[in-house]
Amino acid sequence: MCMALFSGSLDKLTAAGVILSGAVADDMDVEIYVLMQGARAFKRDIATNKDQLMMAENSHLREEFIAACKQLNVKEWYQFFIDAKAMANVKVHICGLAGKLWGGVKIDDFVEWADDIVGINEYITSAQNADVHLFI
Amino acid sequence: MTNDELRSVAVTKTVDARGTACPGPLLEAKKAMGTIKSGEILEVLSADEGSKRDIPLWAKKKEIDYLGTIDEAGYFRIFIRK
Repeated sequence: MCMALFSGSLDKLTAAGVILSGAVADDMDVEIYVLMQGARAFKRDIATNKDQLMMAENSHLREEFIAACKQLNVKEWYQFFIDAKAMANVKVHICGLAGKLWGGVKIDDFVEWADDIVGINEYITSAQNADVHLFI
Repeated sequence: MTNDELRSVAVTKTVDARGTACPGPLLEAKKAMGTIKSGEILEVLSADEGSKRDIPLWAKKKEIDYLGTIDEAGYFRIFIRK
């Protein structure tokens, strides 16, 4: 599976994590390409700071969303990714341009579970070869 | 299998995933499958309505035998055989 993760919003990151979990349950290899605002969410100083992450839509529902996730024992968005990497072949690639937009130029600027910084042709090649391709 | 048959099967391992929402029960089932032998039976406890369909669908794809589900009060007991 190839996933282009454009969004850096709390709700879409969580949705991406849920979908990712379904893929690893099926033992799928997953290549995630983190683009644009996604790269901001994957920055080391942002990822675990929920105050820095908004909703993709219906922003007034943010607190309700957070409270419901807590009540339902839903993992934090990044924990889905960490757990998925422990269970299957999941690679997290940061778009070089997207990283620079948010001041991230080295892989160390991003979460420790991000694998590398790549150019756009790697994403295109992965999308061409994938059975399932998602843009979130 | 009927509910009576399911209640009497020899379960090798039970995982209680009632404290998790989707995809928790599915992932717990996958993890537990790695700990039992071929022919052994896993019971998954889930309070998530979606698990009733999700786990059998996953089992079919992974060539795991889905034996059935018992609908208990407030949760489901899902039985699969490796």
